[in-house]
Amino acid sequence: MNAIMIVELKKHLQDKGLAFWMLILPILFTVLFISVFTTGDNEVVNQEIIQSIVPGYIVMFVFFIMISMVQVFIKDRNRGMTARLASTPLKSYYYLLGKWLPFTFIVIIQIVVLFLFGKVVYDVSLGQPIILLILSLFITFTVTAIGLAMALTVNTENMGIALTQIIALGGAMLSGLWMPLEMMPDFMQTIAHFLPQYWAHQSFQDAMAGTTQVPELLQTLVVLFAIGAAAFIIAIIRYPYFLKRAVK
Amino acid sequence: MLTINNVTKHYDKTEALKHVSITIPGGACYGLVGPNGAGKSTLIKMITSIIRDYKGKIEFNEKRITDKTKQKLGYVPQDIILEEDISAFSNLQLFGRLYNLKGNSLNQRIKEVLALIGLSERGKDKVFAFSGGMKRRLNIGCALMHNPDLIIMDEPTVGIDPQSRKYIFKMIEDLKTAGKTVIYASHYMEEVEKLCDYVAFLDRGEMIENGAISELLQQYAVPSIYVKGSGIPQDKLEQYGTVSQEDGAFILYTEKALEAMEHIISYCRENRLDVERMELVHPRLEDVFFRLTGSNLRD
Repeated sequence: MNAIMIVELKKHLQDKGLAFWMLILPILFTVLFISVFTTGDNEVVNQEIIQSIVPGYIVMFVFFIMISMVQVFIKDRNRGMTARLASTPLKSYYYLLGKWLPFTFIVIIQIVVLFLFGKVVYDVSLGQPIILLILSLFITFTVTAIGLAMALTVNTENMGIALTQIIALGGAMLSGLWMPLEMMPDFMQTIAHFLPQYWAHQSFQDAMAGTTQVPELLQTLVVLFAIGAAAFIIAIIRYPYFLKRAVK
Repeated sequence: MLTINNVTKHYDKTEALKHVSITIPGGACYGLVGPNGAGKSTLIKMITSIIRDYKGKIEFNEKRITDKTKQKLGYVPQDIILEEDISAFSNLQLFGRLYNLKGNSLNQRIKEVLALIGLSERGKDKVFAFSGGMKRRLNIGCALMHNPDLIIMDEPTVGIDPQSRKYIFKMIEDLKTAGKTVIYASHYMEEVEKLCDYVAFLDRGEMIENGAISELLQQYAVPSIYVKGSGIPQDKLEQYGTVSQEDGAFILYTEKALEAMEHIISYCRENRLDVERMELVHPRLEDVFFRLTGSNLRD
């Protein structure tokens, strides 16, 4: 498994496209939207907006890792690498873990870098860093598990990219990452409660403000874990089909 | 020794392999020959346990292929399957680690394999910058990292330059000298004839014939005479055997080639016919395949 992980990390570190999607684009969006929405003179309001935009765009852009996950698995399957590895003593589930775990590292690094960017450039408050870290680990699991399920289910890269856009952008809009949830119609606010982006965003904001309540935090963690676990189960169910197709 | 015992494989309703049985002696170079769709790649994937759902039994040294047995198998796939965005060294490192090589022994083996495939100077270069032939050699190198006893090569010379082809032949000769067992699947009959001691002919999922190449040539291939000249009547040649035409010349298949040659020369002299070229053609594996299937391999 380590052999696969090391190669994957090497490839990801050299992947300029991944760096663009995961770091440069979210930073550009964050800067752009903060500059648009903080034109007023009221510093307190401006800081509140920044405290919402920074975690909002972090949550939105972590979902873009799913594009890379789909690409990696589909490419491996189509060019025969999955089949070739099946001829080695590597156990098939180690292949899955070896491909998956590097993405979790990348997402954690992405979240840390983007929070640090918010801290250094906009002086956002990171009131409860340990809770932020715990939330980061849980959202990482959720996102990469959904990515894994999608990568092992879709037939083509394009299908994966399209679904990622729907999940990332649709989820961001419905979860109040682009505008305060209170400004949205009631039915959309109800839908938001079924989306991981909503829970992650709310809890990130609480932790940044240092106002996290344990029951609320636990509720968020349970929701994120449940969604991630469901996605992971789908991935495990789909994996034999993926392998079967890979060796044909 | 590798024994393939009565294996059958279906893809949905298509029967890709039908009751194939082959015994490959240790230390031999064994050719698998057949046209596209004959079942060569399917059989290779079964030997390497990439495909596991099949009927029949495949054993290496009297043991079923398991993760432990796989340590002794090296697989060179038909396509070039490498990580193109990392170096040749890193690719070899990946495959070495998959076979539990570590530390100094891993680095030492990478150096050996890079030398073996003639890429010592290019080890640090990324694979995407390599020529097709270099990628092919690295593709083979990855399969040799763990020094396997049995190397299974699926069309390893497809689409490469003559220099790399020659290099690959030399590598295979070296593997044979080192006592390794090699399974060599190819479209190129002349390659199999040059490199292998044994051959199995596959066609439409069935094994038509197998055995030592020298014995098969003796058993099936009919010697022939190439005759090119003006005014030589075909019916005269047909007195000695079967005749086919090729690029304005006749190919006469006959068991008594020398005797027939003598008669044809006398006939041409007597009738003042101009013979441009006449030669005895050594029987080839291609002829055996033709005799067995009624078609050429590349038809």
